[in-house]
Order: sequence, then C-alpha cells, then structure tokens
Amino acid sequence: MNPIGHGGLSAQPVIAHRCKIALVEDLPEIRDNLSQLIGTFPEFQCVCACASGEEALKKIPPAHPDVVLMDIFLPRMSGIECTSRLKVLLPDTRILILTASDDDEMVFPALEAGADGYLLKQAEPASLRTALLDLLKGGVPMTSGIARRVVDYFRSRAKSRDQIVHLTPREKELLVLLSKGYSNKEIAGNLSLSVETIHGHLKNIYQKMHVRSRAEAVAKYMSAENK
Amino acid sequence: MGLHLMAESHAATPSENAPPNKALLDPKYGVGSWIWTAETHDQQLCRFWRSFEIPTGAKVVKARLRIAADDSYSLFLDGREIGRGGGWHTLTEYDMTLLLEPGLHTLGVEAFNTFKQAGVLAGLRIELTDGGTIEIASDQSWKVVPNTENRWVNRNRARGNWSPATVVAGFGLEPWPVKPAILKAPQIYPLVLEFWQTGWFQIMMLSLCAFVAAMCLRLMGKVAIQSNAQQVVQRERARIARDLHDDLTAGLTQLVLMGEVAQSTLPAGSEPRRRIDKVCEKARALSHSMNEIIWMVNSQRDSLHAFASYVCKYAETFLQPTPIRCRFNIEEAMPDLPCDMGMRRNLFLAVKEALNNAVRHSGATELVLDIHRQGLSIVVAMEDNGKGFDPSLADRERNGLSSMMQRATEAGGICSVISQPGAGCRVEFVVPLARTAPLHSNFLSRFWKRQAPLPARSHAPPTVSTPPVHPSSTTL
Repeated sequence: MNPIGHGGLSAQPVIAHRCKIALVEDLPEIRDNLSQLIGTFPEFQCVCACASGEEALKKIPPAHPDVVLMDIFLPRMSGIECTSRLKVLLPDTRILILTASDDDEMVFPALEAGADGYLLKQAEPASLRTALLDLLKGGVPMTSGIARRVVDYFRSRAKSRDQIVHLTPREKELLVLLSKGYSNKEIAGNLSLSVETIHGHLKNIYQKMHVRSRAEAVAKYMSAENK
Repeated sequence: MGLHLMAESHAATPSENAPPNKALLDPKYGVGSWIWTAETHDQQLCRFWRSFEIPTGAKVVKARLRIAADDSYSLFLDGREIGRGGGWHTLTEYDMTLLLEPGLHTLGVEAFNTFKQAGVLAGLRIELTDGGTIEIASDQSWKVVPNTENRWVNRNRARGNWSPATVVAGFGLEPWPVKPAILKAPQIYPLVLEFWQTGWFQIMMLSLCAFVAAMCLRLMGKVAIQSNAQQVVQRERARIARDLHDDLTAGLTQLVLMGEVAQSTLPAGSEPRRRIDKVCEKARALSHSMNEIIWMVNSQRDSLHAFASYVCKYAETFLQPTPIRCRFNIEEAMPDLPCDMGMRRNLFLAVKEALNNAVRHSGATELVLDIHRQGLSIVVAMEDNGKGFDPSLADRERNGLSSMMQRATEAGGICSVISQPGAGCRVEFVVPLARTAPLHSNFLSRFWKRQAPLPARSHAPPTVSTPPVHPSSTTL
C-alpha cells in the first residue's frame, strides 16, 4: 500500500521510509508551518529547514534529501542561484520552486537554472501532497505556458548559434502539443506513447535546458575553490 | 539762397545742435575748411563723423564729394568705404549721385597724420530735383570720434562724448596755401546685394535656424521629461508590485499555512475545523486576487508575451475543474510589443467574463483560446463548441455581454460575438496596440493623426455595427 513508485531517473529506490524533504524559506512562519504541514503527510518528512541560500548550501548536501522546496526571493543569494548550485552538488535531488504566484515570468528563470517544477505556497494540503507524490513517481510538471517558453528558449538559443543541445523532433512535437493545452494523457493517446515515455521526454527537455546553467554553475564553483 | 539755407537747416539733425553754418562751401572748389582735433601730433589717427538727411520725397540729381587730407584719409558713406587717398595738393572728387536716397546718411573720415600739420578738407554738394541744395562742409559741425569707438562708421547718431572738430585753417590759407587740383574718382555704384547677402534674408535664415533649434530643444526636453515621468511611474509600479508581493502575499500565505496546520490538529468533521477551513478558503481566494492585482500593477509585465502567458495560465486554471478542455492557439514567435496596464487589465477582465460565460452557458466540451497579432492590433478570440445562441435574442445584461463590451471599449477596442443556436460561439476582442508607444502623446502624434487618422484608442467607437458576414452575429 505504498503510494510511492520508483522515481524515474532519480535512481534512489524509494523504500518504505518516508521521503526526505528539505525546505529553504526565509520567513520563519511560512517555514515552520510548511514543515509542520509536510510532517502531517504520512509519506514525507522534513529533514532540513534553512532560512537562506547560504545555509542551504551547507546543510542540505549532507542531509541528502529527495526533494528540495526552494523559495525564489531569499535575502542575499537568490533561490535561483541557490538552485543552480545545489543541482551541481546533488544532481539527483529534485528541486521545486516555492512561489506565492504562478507567474510564468517569475518561475521560468528558476526552471532554466535547474529547478524541476514549482509549487504554489498557498496550495491546499491535498494538492501539495499530490504534487509531491507525482514528482516522486517520475511526473514532470510542464504547463502549456512553460512549454511555450521552452520552445521560445530553444529557438532563441538556436538563433544565437550558441553551443546548444538541440531538441529532437519528437520533443518539439511534444512541446507544441503541450503548449496548445493538451494534457499528458491526451498526448499519450494521440501519439500512442505511454505516459511514462512522455515523462522521460520531458525530463530530457529539462535536462537539455539545464546544461548551460549547470556548466556555468560548475565554472563558478571551480573559480570559488581556487581562491 | 533762402532755399539753400532751408535745405541745410533740414540736414542738421536735431541731436547735433550744430550752429547755422556761415562758412559753407567754397564756390569754386566746393570744400569747407581744414579741420582736425584740438591737438595735433605726429603719427596721429583721427576720425571725423557727420550725419545728414535727405528729405523724403526728394530725389538726388547730383551729389559729389571732394576731399583732401594731410596726410591720408579713408572715406566712408553709411559704413561703406568709398575711397582712400592722401596729399593736400589734390582734391579727389567722388560722385555719390547713385548712392544717396532720401533718409539719414553718415559720412566718416579716418585720417592719419605722419608728422607736423594735419588736416582734412571736404565738401559735399547735393542737388535735388526740386532745385534745393544740400551742402556739407568740413567745419565744426563734424564730430571727432574717439579712437576707442568700435563700428563708428555704422553709427547714425553721435555719442555725447564725441567732441566737435576744430577748424585749423581756412581753405587756401596757411599752412596749405596752394589751391589744389581736382581729380575725379571713378563713378561709384550702389552695392548690388544678392538676396542671400541682404540683411533681412540673413536674419530670416538665422531666426529660422533659431526656431528649428528651439523646437528641437523643446521636443528633446519633452521627450526627456516624458520618458523620465514614464520611468518614474514604471519604477513606482514595480515597487508597489514588489511591496504587495513581499508584505501582503507573504502575509496571506502565512495565514493560509497557519490555518492548515491549525486545522490538521482538530478532529475531522468538527465545527471549529469547518470554520478554519472557511478561513483558509477565504485567505486563498484573497491571495489569488492579490496575485492578479500584482500582475496588473507590475510594470515588468507590460508586454504582449506576458499578457498571452498570463491569460493562458488563467484560462487553464479556470477551466480545469470544468468539463471544458482548453486549447491554445498562440501566434508563434509573436513580437514582444509593449502593452500598457490599462489595456492589459481591461482585456484580461473581458477574457475572464467571456470564459465565465462559456462555463455558465455554453455546455461546450472544448474552447480554443486564440491570441495573435493583426497589424497593429492584438486579437484575442475564444471559440467554443457549445450549444450557441442567437445574439439578437440574448439578454445582454444577464449574459454578461454588456460588461464584456464595456471592458473591450475601455481597452480601446471592439468586441464581437458570433454565434448561432447549435453552432458554438466565438467571442473576439480586437484592441489596437498603437497608443502604447511612449512618444505618441506629444504634438508629433497630433500632427501624425491629422495626416493619417489612425483608429486612436480613445476614439474607438463604443459600438460598431459591422458584423462579419454571418446570418446572426452581433458586434458589441
């Protein structure tokens, strides 16, 4: 009766123990209440709650969480910067951006920097839980708006003749359908694919998008350690 | 002789207070007396000035000026150099007939003495058509101009500190006893000025340049002020959006989370739990409205891309719990044009109303949201596959059609509803983007509008009754 399946590319086998979640949020009330709320879900436990990006970089890697919930607006180091650094240290950990508004303009830079999706802070506990479970099952959140931004992103990269990874025709097709508002299930039916295959494609798209930011983050780390 | 005197007294300008001249021109040689300043010394430069007037209506028949100087002179008429010469043995005669028109004229003589005696001898005789004569002799009615004076030959009024000239000797007397020979200078013609050399033309050109420069400055100033004001407004809007986000949204989020945690400690189904549930619900709804307000206020979202992405997101979320599937047809690679707050807000509210109508009345299973650019306008259309209606029979108030129409008008555009019973419904908003250009509100745009009357948003008709060719369609 374990609702958590195998997490796709995140190769950690999910066993009967509760999934580890780390939280980065500067406002103490939100941080405390959110961690308490997560504590009430039978499948999850909050193993680490940090008030800043700097603290997160110190405390999260040793805790090895499965999921990190990251606020965008943090004092000093932004959530976006922190995300790209954490992704270098913990490539298998899924990072979800915590946001008060689902404004694509706000969320997309974080996705570009390495985040795997986003969560609304005020979401009802039930939908919060569903979103987390989906993520661990291998689901990759991709709304039509985000899909459109991703298509634009790769188009502008192609124009600037950047050294980029190109999308495969299948991935492009998938993004176009998503941007038109089709759900994963509908697309699976249309293209005769399984929903899992679609998740795999989406994961690849995210990873291609992250190549650049990850390279940049690694370069930053190298120069910081040489000092 | 009486006539002669009258003419002479006329010639003396009132400011000079020159005493009536007794020693006029020598009848044979036509000159006055030798004049100089009070002192005479070697290497001396001396300037003499005299004004005279030719009465209006008079015409000059003949005008000749004879001049000699010890040692040399330059002669000016009305600021123009007529000639130069020297030596006291010869009188040079200049014919000025063609140069003298009715009005005030000035004579100027700049003389130079190398050593010992110095003097200037001159006489001007003007004959008029009416038989009158004007005679001007070198005498004490001439003024000595200080050497410090600039542009003295151009002056037509003497200054108070210009002293009268001194008569140093009568004509033909010592130290210049010899009666001089008369030498005629070549005829002098008036200067023919090409039109671009004339003063009025140059003044006109200069003032034209000044005007153009002033207009440029004014325009630049306006642009600077306007763009400055616009920047201030945008900065303020961004700040308000940030403050709302940081304070209110964060507070509401805390409220929701605290409520959720408190709720989880209470037994399910209990009355307090139900109440806290309601509080959470309310706070969540507030938080949603707050996000909407923040999006509208935030100047960083004043673009077509942001608008399209927000509207899609809204439609997706709004239609999720309904049986209507939402499809998007967003123009690919749409240019990211600016899109001001008022338009964004009204268009968004209109779309909201249309979606609301679709959910309440259409019974559709699919709705296509279409956003594309059409020239300088943005087109937002929602087409459903529902049961449709006859727009001519629809109760506008009840169906929210009127509020949709009002929103579209406030956004500066038009709204049209095309529907037929059993054939779905298409609601289309067409709103010009033109007014969003920041510089279009100064006089250039007024000029432009006069040239080519664009459908300015403020002039957009509230109702346009040009329905597309369709049996039962209405344009609101």
